[in-house]
Amino acid sequence: MSLPLYYYLAITAVYILMTWALYLPYRVAHLHFMVVANMAISGYFGGYAAINWHWSFLAVFAAGFLIGAVVSFVVSIAIGDAPTFAVVIVGFTFIYITKTVIENWPAMGSTMGMFGIPLVNHILLYAYLFVLVTGFFIYRFDHSRLGRAASAIFIHRELATSFGVNTKYLGMFLQTWAGAIGGATGVLYGFIMNSLFPNFFTFPIIGATMTMLFLGGYTTMWGPLLAAPVLWGAPLLLPTAVASWRQIIYGVLLIVILLLRPEGAITRPFIVKVQTTIFQWMRIKKV
Amino acid sequence: MNKSGETILSVENLFVSYGHVEALKGVSLEVKRGEIVVLVGSNGAGKTSIMETILGVNQTRKGRIIFEGREITNLSSDKIVRSGIFLVPEGRGVFSSMSVLDNLLLGAHHNLKNAKEKTAYVYELFPVLGQRRNQIAGTLSGGERQMLSIARALMSNPKMIMVDEPSIGLAPKIVNDIFKILQNLNKEGYAILLSEQNVYKALKLADRGYVLETGSVVLDGTSEGLLHNTDIRKAYLGA
Amino acid sequence: MAVFLAQIVNGISLGSVYVLLVTGFNLLLLVAMIIHYSFPIVVVFSMYISWIVLGLTGGNMFLGLSAGIVSAVLINILTAPMFQHIMKKRGDVDINSTMVLSMGIGMIITDFLSHSVNSGFPIAFPDSLTGRGEPAFIRLGVISMSRGDMLSLTLGIIFVLGLFWILYKTRAGRAFRAIAEDPNGAKLVGIPILKTGLQSYALTGLLGGVSAVAMSILLGSASPGLGDQLGRKVLAVSIIAGLGNLKGGLIVGISLGILEALVQGYWSGTWSNSIAFVVMLIAILVKPKGIFGMKL
Repeated sequence: MSLPLYYYLAITAVYILMTWALYLPYRVAHLHFMVVANMAISGYFGGYAAINWHWSFLAVFAAGFLIGAVVSFVVSIAIGDAPTFAVVIVGFTFIYITKTVIENWPAMGSTMGMFGIPLVNHILLYAYLFVLVTGFFIYRFDHSRLGRAASAIFIHRELATSFGVNTKYLGMFLQTWAGAIGGATGVLYGFIMNSLFPNFFTFPIIGATMTMLFLGGYTTMWGPLLAAPVLWGAPLLLPTAVASWRQIIYGVLLIVILLLRPEGAITRPFIVKVQTTIFQWMRIKKV
Repeated sequence: MNKSGETILSVENLFVSYGHVEALKGVSLEVKRGEIVVLVGSNGAGKTSIMETILGVNQTRKGRIIFEGREITNLSSDKIVRSGIFLVPEGRGVFSSMSVLDNLLLGAHHNLKNAKEKTAYVYELFPVLGQRRNQIAGTLSGGERQMLSIARALMSNPKMIMVDEPSIGLAPKIVNDIFKILQNLNKEGYAILLSEQNVYKALKLADRGYVLETGSVVLDGTSEGLLHNTDIRKAYLGA
Repeated sequence: MAVFLAQIVNGISLGSVYVLLVTGFNLLLLVAMIIHYSFPIVVVFSMYISWIVLGLTGGNMFLGLSAGIVSAVLINILTAPMFQHIMKKRGDVDINSTMVLSMGIGMIITDFLSHSVNSGFPIAFPDSLTGRGEPAFIRLGVISMSRGDMLSLTLGIIFVLGLFWILYKTRAGRAFRAIAEDPNGAKLVGIPILKTGLQSYALTGLLGGVSAVAMSILLGSASPGLGDQLGRKVLAVSIIAGLGNLKGGLIVGISLGILEALVQGYWSGTWSNSIAFVVMLIAILVKPKGIFGMKL
């Protein structure tokens, strides 16, 4: 496999996972940027453990997943049922504090970055296995009782409470799960790039994943799955002079989609339509 | 009393829907200058929908609304208020974090000329509001809030006042006071479109009435006639 | 003690800038009903416009600063139709999409600044504007204030007082408060919602422009990342005070300024900036709905 293709596929997996991590809490209208901080914390921990303690990739991966879950869980005790804007600012502040700590911690490479995270065979395979597993569980969640409860909360929080939905527990559950995905993805990212820089875990990834979520469509899990490869890939095909304006391109796309198609490219009615079309097509084939 | 019989408001064949739900299905009605007209009907019959549509809050699907010879269908609410219609909403619609005076001045938002004279006029009509002009409206009693809401309507120089369910949540004695106030205002020449669940009292007060059921007018006539109608007596007056 | 008093005074100057920004943010939240996270980023953009015009006109203060103010008002008015388009279908969720829209605007501005102006390096305002290197303007015992501190504090006080005057003593202000309390009720009494909303965009644009001037004088420099940092602070201050709570914003804004000045007075280094963030984070985690209650 050529190196550019390898990187494209590997980073695409990272973006799919991160956008899903953003998608899950947004099911209850929480824009949980905390997952980016989870990514940084677990990623750096994983890098450090692999370099200095010689942990195996799988051990590091599991630890990253757990650390992400624990950190997000502890925070979710406070903001599991908070208004969206409070969740947003907690995420932003956490990202900022995490970045400052890393930048001032020589063992983490400070502002210079952490280098020498070992190469792992079949990392691409592991990445997409994790995408598959995560996707499977998100699908199961979306089609369960809890998924319907989440949709109810998204539309009307107070009304959902009156149906007997525990908005706080569901919010905590989704934030914890998203934190775990974020943490594991951080480890994946570290082993794919073999290095980590504190600056990556801020503006670039927030803007990119937010655009992927809203452009692809935040009402189904398929939106992020479609938007991540396209939005990450398209600027790579453009000339370098244009591609360096990636953030501006994302910003413009984000604004345009919000104005023209507020629910994003892939909506629930769209999924239903696709399903019926496929179904009809299959029936016609049989006849 | 000046009841010249000239039509001030006419609603013709009005259709309004909220999403897939049809709230109004071809309602027609008229208010003449100097009249009190009452809309009677149970909850959800469309009384509030009619008033809100006249005020331009809801978009009509079909039909026309003509006020003083000018079509006002689907104009924006602020233009309709300017043309001389004011709504005293169900539940008073008083801004409870603002002072009594602020609430009154909001009624005259589109025309603050002569605001001093107008406030003096409503303080004369409602002395209690004059005493409490700097008090926060949230601290007023239910009856006082209803008075404030009516006084606010007067501040806008209206030609027609729509009053939506004024008696809800008020003690019978206060309801009588409010009805008295409406009657006096009518004597001063304001046309009034009233919606009320207290059918007997409302018909006693009004000149004419319309009976609404699930978004259509099922019966209309003079108050006298409606009070003696057997169907009305059965359905609303418990006789 | 001397350091303490001196830093309190510095903190009040810095806090007055935060108050200007938070008040603008809250006003947009209350009247236009949007969460304009990137409002401070627009303000930083105006600082850049001032800087560019200062460079072009050979340091003409009047032209430079007015260009900054005008640009803030213009950007606010030009972006208003986008927000209003989203607001037309306002529900519980739509106020969140206004925040995302605002973040999109922020992404564009920040990336533009870090690509195209001064090659992305921080910009510095001339000493003639900031008063750097001049002797202290006022000296009272241990307390001394530079001309820059003095000017930005004065601007802050005048404009915040002016804003409260507009809110409580004028027709437009009355309409603002009515919409803030009950948008539907405001519509029923004949207040034109969109037009009044537009007035609030213009007014906050003016506030933003004045904040840009005050920050240019007080900070003396700006960088592409400054807007994002201020955006976080302003949203945090607003949430801690209780979203939309103007008087609460006043108190928390000044407190943040004093806190930051004290930390810098005793604890220099790269950590100092994050201490304020840690304090704010704890405050939000403990009270996600604010200290003084939301006014939404």
